[in-house]
This record gives sequence, structure tokens and C-alpha cells, in this order.
Amino acid sequence: MLASLFLIGAIWSTPQMSVQAASQTIVEDGIDGMTNAVNRMTGGIITYARWPGPAESHRTLCLVGTPQLTARVAPDLPGNGPRITVRRTTPGAVISNGDCDILFLGRLPIADRQRLIGWVRGRPVLTISDDDPACLYGAMFCLAEKPAGLSFSVNLDSIGRGPLRVDPRVLKIGHADGGTP
Amino acid sequence: MTRRPLVRTSLQKLLSRFHFGVTLFAVALSGLTILLSGITAMRGYADRNIELAAQLGAYGVEPALVFNDAAAAREGLAPLMQIPGIARLRVLDDRSRPLTEWVSPSEDPAPLLTRVFFPEPFAVTIRRNGSAIGTIQVWGDSSTLIDYVRIGLLAGLACLIVTALGTIAMARRFEYELVKPLNEIATVAHDVRLHRRFDKRVQSLGITELDRLGGDINALLDELQGWQGSMESERAMLAHRASHDALTELPNRAAFDEQLAQRIGKAQQQGNRLALLFIDADNFKAANDRFGHAAGDAVLVALSNRIGATLRDGDFAARIGGDEFVVLVDPLDSAMEPSALAERIRASISQPVTLPGNALYRPTASVGVAVFPDDATDAAALLTVADAAMYADKLSNRTRP
Repeated sequence: MLASLFLIGAIWSTPQMSVQAASQTIVEDGIDGMTNAVNRMTGGIITYARWPGPAESHRTLCLVGTPQLTARVAPDLPGNGPRITVRRTTPGAVISNGDCDILFLGRLPIADRQRLIGWVRGRPVLTISDDDPACLYGAMFCLAEKPAGLSFSVNLDSIGRGPLRVDPRVLKIGHADGGTP
Repeated sequence: MTRRPLVRTSLQKLLSRFHFGVTLFAVALSGLTILLSGITAMRGYADRNIELAAQLGAYGVEPALVFNDAAAAREGLAPLMQIPGIARLRVLDDRSRPLTEWVSPSEDPAPLLTRVFFPEPFAVTIRRNGSAIGTIQVWGDSSTLIDYVRIGLLAGLACLIVTALGTIAMARRFEYELVKPLNEIATVAHDVRLHRRFDKRVQSLGITELDRLGGDINALLDELQGWQGSMESERAMLAHRASHDALTELPNRAAFDEQLAQRIGKAQQQGNRLALLFIDADNFKAANDRFGHAAGDAVLVALSNRIGATLRDGDFAARIGGDEFVVLVDPLDSAMEPSALAERIRASISQPVTLPGNALYRPTASVGVAVFPDDATDAAALLTVADAAMYADKLSNRTRP
């Protein structure tokens, strides 16, 4: 307890770089701090995901519902990863078109969420939610704001059911974090 | 100017010292070479070890860098913390700001070694999809090297000792092989010089050069032995010539004087008696003139033979003048009558002698006897008494028919 207080104090005193609690992405100060952090984390997750079939230079991210952490979802991929097109759409369009590689789930009615999760099962689609801190509702990756910064957790069941492959190093990071809601 | 005093040492010591020096030098040189090459190889391994660790770390911390997650970075580094020989780890992000850092809790066993071998950290750039996202820096320490250096030094020392001992033993053996034959030669030379043992010879030796030396010494000894033998016979001949009469082969006056003095001394000591008989051939000069010198010589030889024939073991006869002989009867038994002795000599002498030219000559002799200690107690007096007795006898002979 004392240690965490100290750590929080340390964050205040050194805004640029700070000692972190477990699996916390550093959120930089400023208006775009959280947006950047979310986009960087989303981009990181995307780079460690492997879709079946040959690598493609282009992936489509379908944004469904209302994102809770940022208004501007635009994944920031390190290096020359695939180019990401962000498309705001509805659950019905997602299912009927079937051309989404990534589903970013914002706040959704429970029925829509369940429908989408059910549809994704068995398909090579990466699901990321920012409205499920405990990661209990079926998205593969869940972003959550924690006092020390932004973190993500992994739902291993969801990843296990789909054909999508995720780098185990990422699973490890997310899993370690996911254990503590 | 001061001259260094000559310090004499033995060949064995000299060889031993020389061998030890050479051996020590060779062993130290090879040991040092092995150690240095070992350290170089070890350094290569240590470098590779650190490089591998850095690569492993780069793989481990890559997602952490992507997510800018210090805790995950630390976790990614965890496997590296188990690797020995790593002093410090640091992960820098793409803007060269440290994300996490770890310093080994164990102390550097040899900071000097570390400074020499790992002056700079090994850095690996971490890339994701072709762009640099950070750097991992790994500092090595000497903990992997120190064991090798320690063991290497110990093993080197052990090798040094073993090799030195082995070489010393071999050097000893060599020295023995060399020094033994030299000692043999020296012993022979010493024996010859000190004990005049010219019959000694150097045995055949296993080393060619020394065997040649031994052969030369043997040849020299052969010559010396020859010289020694001829010298001894020469000396014996000279001694015999000095103390003997050339014609009759009897001892001469000088030998007689010596014998007389000696025997008187001995008789005095032991309380014995001895008789001195003075014999003079009668009319020898006349015979010499009448029959010639060759005949005179023949008479003298015959006289000496006859006198010699009457002697017992231990008695002594000498020719002390032209026709004068002496006999020492020593010891003189109390039962022996001196006049009987004289008579026996006279009788022996008076047998006819065949002269060259077959003429017969009948020599006669006058004999005087003196007895020690009855007649005199010293040599000169004894001789005088005997001489006088002889003259008396000669005079009585002239009156004899």
C-alpha cells in the first residue's frame, strides 16, 4: 500500500517517465495523452496478431458502439505494419458485410454485443473492447484505464476459440494484468 | 679493478641449475600462452553470451516497448537476470529514455577484469516491423571469467609444478648418465695418481665422446705402465749393480757394511750371537800372474760358488775386495764351533778348479773368524778381529807343509 502511494507520488513528480505498477502503459500528459495511449495500445495489439493466410498490407477496423476512452480511434502501429482503415459501423453491417478484420467495441447494448461476439466465434476477427475492464464479455482484448495509466487484459478463451493467432508475449502481458480486475 | 673470486661448482649442480632454468622458462612460457589464449577464447564466449542475452532480452521486452509498459519490460528481462555474468540491464525506448533498468545484486568479483573485458555495454536495437522501437543495453561482469582465470591459474600452477618436477627428474637422470662416466674416469685418474695403480683402466662408456676420452686415457695408462715397468726394472738393475759384484754376483763391500750393521743391531736386540768369517784366497796374485786374468776370474767365481754352497738360509756372503770374501753366520748356534766353520769353508774351497785350457788349480784360503759379542761388539771391531784372525791363519798356512 505504502509502495503504491509512493509510486503514484513518483508519477506526479516525474511526468515524462515514471516507475509503473504492473503492466501499465504510460499515459502521457496533455489533451491527447489518453487518445495516444489507446491508439498505441490498439496498434501494438494489432501488430502482435496474426491472421491466417498471407500477410496483407491493409486491415479494416470496424468501430461499433461508443468508445469510452477516446473519441478518436486510429491505431498507431510501430514500423511499417499493415495500413489500418477505421470505419464506424453498426453490428448489423458488420455481420452482413463480413469484411472487418478488427472489431473495436465501444459501449453497446448487451444484445448487440452478444450477437457480435457470437458471430466472431470461429472467424479471423480480432476483437478489442474498451468497455469491459474485467474482460468478461467475450472480447479478446479489453482496454481499461487504471490509476497508474492505461492497461489491457486478455480473454484467453475468446482467443482460443478463433483462428487468429496472438504472440504469446502479448498474452503474457495481458494475462498478468487481467488477473487483477 | 676487483676480480670476482672463482666460485667452483660441480657439473651436476651446474647442469641441474641450467636444466631447471630452461624448464621453468619453457613451462612458464607455454602456461602463459595457454592462459592467454584461454582468456581470449573465454572472452569470445563471454561476448557471445552477452550478445545472446541481449538478443533474448530484445525478444522479451519487444511487446513491452510496443505497449510502453515498464513492468512488462521488467518481466521480459527476468530470464536475463538468471544468467551469470550480467551486471546491469537497461531498456531504452525509441526516444532513448530508459524504460526499465536492473542492476545485479551480486557484487562484481573483479572490477579490473570487468573494465578490461567489458568496457562498454552491449547494445541491441529492438525493431518491430522494421522500425526501431528501443534499445536494450547489457553490461557484462567478470563473474564468468573470474572462475576460469582462477581455475586456469591454479591448473597452470599445478601443471608448472608437475612439469617442473618431471623435468627435474629427467634432468637428474641425464646428469646421472653424464656425471657417472665422468666420475668413473676421474676415479681411475685419481687411483693412478695417488696409488700408482697403473693397471687400472676406464671401462667402456655409453657416451661416445666420453668413451673416446676414456680410450685415450687407457692408451696413456698403457704407455705409463710400460714406462713404469721399464723404470722399475732399470732401477732394480741399478740397485743390484750398486750392491753386487759384477763378476761373482755376490753382494759387494757396501752391501756387506750395511748388512753387518743391521745384523749386529738385530743380534744385540735379540741377544743372539753371530760369526763373521773373513776369507782370503792364498797366493791368488801368483795364480793370476801365472794363468792369466781369465783364469783368475774363473777362480774367483768358483770360490764364490763354493762359499755360497756352504751357507745356510739367512747366512750372508759378500766379496769385499779382489780376493777377499766375508761370510756372516747369523745366528750362530751355541753348539757351533767357530773354528769348525772356518774349517768347513777351507775344505770347501780347497777342491780343484778346472781353469780355461783344462788346467787344474787347487786354491786354498785363509779364514779368520770373529764372533759377536764374544770378540767385539761393533762392526768395525768385529771386522778388525776377523781380519787379524785371517792374517794369523795365513801366517800359519805358510808354515804349513
